[in-house]
Amino acid sequence: MSETLSEPQPGQWVRIATVAELDRPRPLIPVTLGNRRLVLFRDEEGQLGLIGRHCPHRGADLCFGRLEDNGLRCPFHGWHFDRTGQCVEQPAEPEGSQMYKAIRVPMIPVAEGGGLILAYTGDGEPAAPPDFTAFSDDVAG
Amino acid sequence: MISKELNEQITHIGPGTDAGAVLRRYWQPAALSDELDGRTRVPVNLLGERLVLMRDDTGVLVLATRQAREDEPAVSYPDEDDIVVVPDGPVYPVSERKGMIFAWLGPGAPPEFPNFDCFRAPDSHVFAFKGLWECNWLQALEIGIDPAHASFLHRFLQDEDPDDSYGKQFRDKAADLDMPMTRVLREYPRPDIAVEETDFGLKITALRHLNGGLTHVRVTNQIFPEAICIPMSREMTITQWHVPVDDETCYWYSLFTSFDKPVDKPLMRAQRLKEHRLPDYAPLKNRDNDYCYDPDEQARVTYTGMGLDINVHDQWAVEGMGAIQDRTQEHLGRSDVAIIRYRRMLRQAIAALHDNREDALPMRGSGDPTAIVGPLSNDAIAETADWAAASTRTDLARRAACPWDATV
Repeated sequence: MSETLSEPQPGQWVRIATVAELDRPRPLIPVTLGNRRLVLFRDEEGQLGLIGRHCPHRGADLCFGRLEDNGLRCPFHGWHFDRTGQCVEQPAEPEGSQMYKAIRVPMIPVAEGGGLILAYTGDGEPAAPPDFTAFSDDVAG
Repeated sequence: MISKELNEQITHIGPGTDAGAVLRRYWQPAALSDELDGRTRVPVNLLGERLVLMRDDTGVLVLATRQAREDEPAVSYPDEDDIVVVPDGPVYPVSERKGMIFAWLGPGAPPEFPNFDCFRAPDSHVFAFKGLWECNWLQALEIGIDPAHASFLHRFLQDEDPDDSYGKQFRDKAADLDMPMTRVLREYPRPDIAVEETDFGLKITALRHLNGGLTHVRVTNQIFPEAICIPMSREMTITQWHVPVDDETCYWYSLFTSFDKPVDKPLMRAQRLKEHRLPDYAPLKNRDNDYCYDPDEQARVTYTGMGLDINVHDQWAVEGMGAIQDRTQEHLGRSDVAIIRYRRMLRQAIAALHDNREDALPMRGSGDPTAIVGPLSNDAIAETADWAAASTRTDLARRAACPWDATV
């Protein structure tokens, strides 16, 4: 499971996948952006999440995660992440534990349009939505 | 999270490293006796060293250093005719026990073996096997001292008939309860975990409080420095070493020990050879074929989608962390209490060797190693108030009924 893309320039939108690649019963694919290993998935609300590939607990590979409960669940200890990378559940930790609130996987902004999925390579939120027409040649290719 | 420097200190094992120095103060599994069948020279890749195991003319085992190219792969298994002994290279003591050949790569005279059950039981009651994992030894060990993961990683969405469970982990009924272990693990995922230091390492107790005032008690052990002893079924325990080949590759070596009938070795071996190739004991499901991951199976049958063999689940978990887990990015929780305690013991051992206090290491002091017996390793179900006594009682009952001397 790996798909390597060329080193992106900072502060740019880059194509990471086609929408068709996620059109499968389990909509999840690994993505490598520069030296960052990521996982792209679609949650039950139809929204995309592009988050770090390794579980922040002990580093298990979330590409084999369970796509359930509107997010991605690590098969190692059941830690559950939403599309923003926020941990929302740690089912092996004691009842009432609040630890999960401080746990977050890195998240990369994504946008979907024109049959493409783009990721933003800058720090923070992108200043403007991408111009999908600039990437449209890629769809045919 | 720990620093990059500390992560390297506790994971790197070649000659001259801190963790490597600790491991070299203990007998290390080097090969299975089976590997010598039909061969006179068996390559051994151990602790970053390139060795060869041979029988001399008198039948005595010798572990010597062999020539190897700089770029030889981590797990290299050259034909015996191509193995060349380094004439003046290190030669290490070996001891064959229960189908495994142990090597002493440390300084000084090797110590006696502790009297663990796997060494006390007769050969008929112990089965040895091994398997290759492509990752550092420490993450391989740490999954074995993490009682919580079994409720998730090894979750079966349906229960199998325990009568079909021979030789498999977690398929038995929990002792004294007509409930398959798979269901106990699935329905009670938040164990209370207690850790005690012992003369051999750590005793790890996981309590799962069931309905009706009952508690499931599972006792597992860390045997310093890189082994575990865990229950497999009511009949058998597993004593398993996580032995470094180099910093990024390791073998698990297991002794399956029966407290009841002689082990059906042909069956145990056939079950495992179906999942491994020879001669290097590499698993057939691996990173290159995505562990035969099946999303449909993951949705319906298993938590991982990687089949029913729990060894594959563990292998995926530890190999997926990367060659050496980047512990600068980890976030340990309450369920990791035994891992935290173990790392403290390992750091204490490293510090003791820096101070030339080898006798401060577990089982390396002035006490007689052969006086160390056990360890208690079992599952029990008890009235919640009685769980501690019930765990001991269940262990003693099994030992009393055991056909070989398992008394403690």
